[in-house]
Amino acid sequence: MSSVRAWFTRYALQLIVLAIVIASMYVLYPEFRVQSSIERLIPLGVIAAGLAVTMIAGEFDLSIASMAALAGAITVVLSGHGLITALLIAIAACTLMGMLQGWAIATLGINSLVFTVGTLVLIRGLTWLVCGGLAISIDDFTASDIFYSRFASLSPGSLTALCILVGLGVFLSRTRWGRELYALGSARQEAIAAGVSYRRGMVVAFGISAACGAVGGGLTSALSGSAAPSALESMLVLGIAAALVGGVSIAGGRGTMVNVFLGFAIISTLSAGLAGMGAKAFVSQFYIGIFLLAIVLAEYFIARVGEHGHRNRMKQQVEARQPEPAAPGPATPVAR
Amino acid sequence: MTTVQGSAIAFQERAGHRKAMDGTRNFALPILIVLVFIVASISVPQFLTFETIRAILLATSITGIMAAGMTAITLSGNLFSLGVTSSVVLSGVLFLWTTNATGSIFVGALAAILVALALGLGQGFIVGLGLNPVVVTLGAGAVIYGSTAMMTGGEVVQAETREAGRFATFAVADIPLPVLVLVAFTAVAWFLTERTTIGRDVHLVGWNRDTAKNSGISYMGTTIWAFLIFSVAIGVAAVMQVSQTLQVQADNFPELTMNVVAAVLIGGTAVSGGDGSPVKSVIGALFIATTAQIMVLAGVEQGTRLFVLGVVVVVLVITLHLLRRAGSR
Repeated sequence: MSSVRAWFTRYALQLIVLAIVIASMYVLYPEFRVQSSIERLIPLGVIAAGLAVTMIAGEFDLSIASMAALAGAITVVLSGHGLITALLIAIAACTLMGMLQGWAIATLGINSLVFTVGTLVLIRGLTWLVCGGLAISIDDFTASDIFYSRFASLSPGSLTALCILVGLGVFLSRTRWGRELYALGSARQEAIAAGVSYRRGMVVAFGISAACGAVGGGLTSALSGSAAPSALESMLVLGIAAALVGGVSIAGGRGTMVNVFLGFAIISTLSAGLAGMGAKAFVSQFYIGIFLLAIVLAEYFIARVGEHGHRNRMKQQVEARQPEPAAPGPATPVAR
Repeated sequence: MTTVQGSAIAFQERAGHRKAMDGTRNFALPILIVLVFIVASISVPQFLTFETIRAILLATSITGIMAAGMTAITLSGNLFSLGVTSSVVLSGVLFLWTTNATGSIFVGALAAILVALALGLGQGFIVGLGLNPVVVTLGAGAVIYGSTAMMTGGEVVQAETREAGRFATFAVADIPLPVLVLVAFTAVAWFLTERTTIGRDVHLVGWNRDTAKNSGISYMGTTIWAFLIFSVAIGVAAVMQVSQTLQVQADNFPELTMNVVAAVLIGGTAVSGGDGSPVKSVIGALFIATTAQIMVLAGVEQGTRLFVLGVVVVVLVITLHLLRRAGSR
């Protein structure tokens, strides 16, 4: 029982926010269905998961949205060889690029934020080249039909995304390589001193991040049957918002796939609900921005209060142990 | 005694080595720009004309002003702002509205700068609490974009008088005003960051936050100053940009944020803070504008231009990083 309670306390803030968001959506917009927000797992959920993995490892992958767009473009261009094959090639190619990126970051010892700002532009340029500068579409319109079937009221895309989230959750919490990412994120010097391979950690983290981006972008293109050079640009902000609102720490070492899912659920419920009410996209951008700022501020103040409380308790304990610190008596003279 | 002398000599050697590395780092980009200019004027026909140079300088002026301002944030150890575009658009909208209402471009410009300052104050305060600047500016960017779009209803805001374009068309001895403003702003930003107490505080806070705190320098205050310098740049750049286009819409100028960040990075200001200069960032902006203009003249299409820009940023960032690492050894 206590583990269930620990689980709820751990995710309390996010669960409360999610409950409030869902409730207010039902009040404001009675036709709202939770399912319509779950369907946004592709691409938002997987991209948030990819960003979370690099954040846990104490790094930041700004290139993920560009990577998603590139995967979409490759999928559409190669769709003549069969949509599934094209999708797999796109994911494999992007994963390799991500691993290369992680290797470069580790070998150079460079700040990943700086490096991925560069690759963000570079990969976006590559996407333009693959697309030929135009929005492109799949020739065979029936090819994407299989993605519209339903399994247990979920589309194959969402099902894949859920599997990825669960798989990543197991990988991060149950495998050695996954635990190493937490170690690298929370105490890098100590982790390296203890024998964790920094280079392998970076290759794994950025490989996973790129793969998640590629799955998100590739499946989006497979579903819509089209790709555009400037597609999915807003996914970077939304993905970061989802990961952080969910409670993944940007300082590294803290966060799970449950956090990612909760954050995704909050953000996608908000945007699905607002879109359902007929609000324009910029309105949901506005609220997502507010949410992002509110959550990071709330976490900051909760941490401050917690620290304060902790210090007070320590002080009380110290005072309890020394019952009469200022007791008058034949005290030994203090040496000066 | 010999060991002392030996270590002194080793120290001198190291110092000499470091100086050489720092020298390479400081002059690499200017030399590269000169080389690019020479190669381009030989190989690209219409390159060495007054019109081309003017276009390059105009393009530099907008990103350059903001890059000079952003340098203050990077110097203070707060990485960079990812909400450039939305702040520029909001300032631009305010400029056009106020100009349309009052008929005076100066009141309009004042309104644009004031609103940018207010936004910068808010973001600087939140970052000053110790929150991650990238997240805060991303979030604030989304809020600012959303509120601009809601205020304008997503419609295009037009200048009602030709008067609004005066800032862009005004020129002294054929040098357009934005370029003069760039030079003036860079000089002021350089003076502020290098020669004033606030500027030295910004450097120290970026270089070593704990030491700065122990020396009695307020992290909050310094961060807010850095954001305010950046905000003035945003306001000024917005006025210059909108004077050229004479209209603005909420989702305009999406490429600005990345261009400004790229200019700061390839200029050679360290993201870890404390080391860099607004002048370097302006040179970075000049380099980006020059390569972009050459590719336009050579008929390179947009995708390739973006790709080349990405390659240039990655290669320069890696080179600067390696030089810095070699210099600190």
